[in-house]
Amino acid sequence: MTEPAGKHGQLYAELFAAWAIAKKDIRIYYLKPNIIVSGAMFPLFMFLAFAVGRPAEPAVMIPGLVAITILFSASSIEPVSIPIERRVRTFDRLVSAPVSLHAVVLGESLSGFLYSIGIALVPLAAGLVIFRTPIISVFPLVFGILLTAFCFATMGTLFAAYPTESPGDIMSMLNMVRLPLIFISGVFIPVESVPAVGQAVVWLSPLTYGNDLIQASYHGHTHFNPLIDMAMLCIFILIFQVAANRLYKKFNE
Amino acid sequence: MQAIEVSHLTKRFGNLTALDDVSFSVSGGETFGFLGPNGAGKTTTIRILTGISTPTGGTASIFGKDIIRDTIASRKEMGIVHETSNVYDDLTAWQNLMFTAELYAVGKQMREKRAAELLDLFGLLERRDDRVRGFSKGMKRRLTLAMGLVNNPRLLFLDEPTSGLDVQSNLIIRDVIRDLNAQGVTVFLTTHNIEEANLACDRVAIINRGRIAAIDSPERLKKTIQSVQSVEVAFDSASPRRMDDLRQLPGVSEVRKEGDKFRLFTEDPSLVIDAVTAYAKAENARILSLSTFGPSLEDVFIRLTGLGIRTRGVTTVD
Ligand SMILES: Nc1ncnc2c1ncn2[C@@H]1O[C@H](COP(=O)(O)OP(=O)(O)OP(=O)(O)O)[C@@H](O)[C@H]1O
Ligand SMILES: [Mg+2]
Repeated sequence: MTEPAGKHGQLYAELFAAWAIAKKDIRIYYLKPNIIVSGAMFPLFMFLAFAVGRPAEPAVMIPGLVAITILFSASSIEPVSIPIERRVRTFDRLVSAPVSLHAVVLGESLSGFLYSIGIALVPLAAGLVIFRTPIISVFPLVFGILLTAFCFATMGTLFAAYPTESPGDIMSMLNMVRLPLIFISGVFIPVESVPAVGQAVVWLSPLTYGNDLIQASYHGHTHFNPLIDMAMLCIFILIFQVAANRLYKKFNE
Repeated sequence: MQAIEVSHLTKRFGNLTALDDVSFSVSGGETFGFLGPNGAGKTTTIRILTGISTPTGGTASIFGKDIIRDTIASRKEMGIVHETSNVYDDLTAWQNLMFTAELYAVGKQMREKRAAELLDLFGLLERRDDRVRGFSKGMKRRLTLAMGLVNNPRLLFLDEPTSGLDVQSNLIIRDVIRDLNAQGVTVFLTTHNIEEANLACDRVAIINRGRIAAIDSPERLKKTIQSVQSVEVAFDSASPRRMDDLRQLPGVSEVRKEGDKFRLFTEDPSLVIDAVTAYAKAENARILSLSTFGPSLEDVFIRLTGLGIRTRGVTTVD
């Protein structure tokens, strides 16, 4: 009775609902301690663990830090919020709203996306202000950050489809994937020097492409063509979105 | 066109058949009750009718729209009050209402007007900017109801709206259901409270173990079991043998003690009244009150579900 009829009306309703879901997550979950720990502190400590005792200058390390910060922060909201909402049954509100599951998945991912952009600004600013790391070109940086953040936020939503009421279940599954990604994506070890066993899976990691774009904005050269990087990230987003939609549908009993 | 049309609905969870060939329809403006004990399949039915869960077999439509093929269009017509009061504890009452309205794409002016009206209606206006975390159970339930109504639905699903609430919250909710009905809103409610079904519903379906045992108006359901009438009597004095004595009277099939009264079940109330009067005279006891009762919905329920555990004068349901 309130929404305008027709295709455009429904598209608008879907985006409106997705944004409402994202806003709700921002209000409720951004300041939850476990999200701050797993989304913001964890990548910093991971990074320190690698950086300490290495001869490399901070400037060389900044792009990698930005990349893994995005990986962890973007995929940290939904694996916590969705199991909690299953437990208190507010999740039923989302899956009974007059919108498609795509809108629900998008809205949930949107909150992880925005969160990680906020968190990624910290190493980015630290690089510029403290270490005076110059950024050679802004274009790959902006696209690298946006696409990587959206990609891993959607991956977080995908993992959260697993029908559990405990965030820990999803976090441990997620870490089985997130941690290995760091080693095969050129973050600390350049893609060229990843051992042969790893080379085969380098292609399968979205972080490879995101990291490649972010590195390019600092060093000026990329391993792949930047357009390929962007195209691959978009393909991963699409795969995660469609898979998440399927799984949420499947697990609604 | 029917508000709800359900045909041969079946739902299995592994080996368990939660719904077994369920068919019924609800016309526009009707208040329809789904009455059944725990685990009967009430919530499962609502989850299918709201498109959350998919049936194993059969079809369901809402105002002519198939809930599986046309899920979104069907949902636009409905408000849902889930079994658990699923409100966001970390949001205020107002934010909860705004969020729900936004999921239904209710425009800004409309949702603010509607939310203020509903908070007022449910006695929560003063608490609008308080976080829900501190709300009592009844307040959360009322807020859940308000959230179910924020999109002005033509059809409202209520899964056990009043279970576990105090008298005041109960009365508010019953009044609201009555008003909605007067405004032409169709209400589908589940309950295991027989009195609630009797008071609120135009028609009641009795469901047990996933099967519908009967569907009719409460009065007509009662008529189907005329044999279960009763005479209620209270005496001015007590006697240890009274239960046994009363059980011996002609025409009495069963005796229940209810407080200071006795309830004598019979197919022939007038025969029992004569017998009770004669018995009182013989025992030198004065009759304080004597009344006859038709069958109650509870009796129908027990009869149809076979759930009554009738022991020496005590009847329990679920
Ligand atoms: N997701 C599920 N997985 C497995 N079994 C389920 C699931 N949901 C419901 N059931 C089973 O289906 C049956 C019907 O459950 P349902 O929740 O519909 O009952 P109900 O009538 O709502 O009961 P109550 O009055 O306790 O709310 C029960 O035996 C229940 O255990
Ligand atoms: Mg139930």
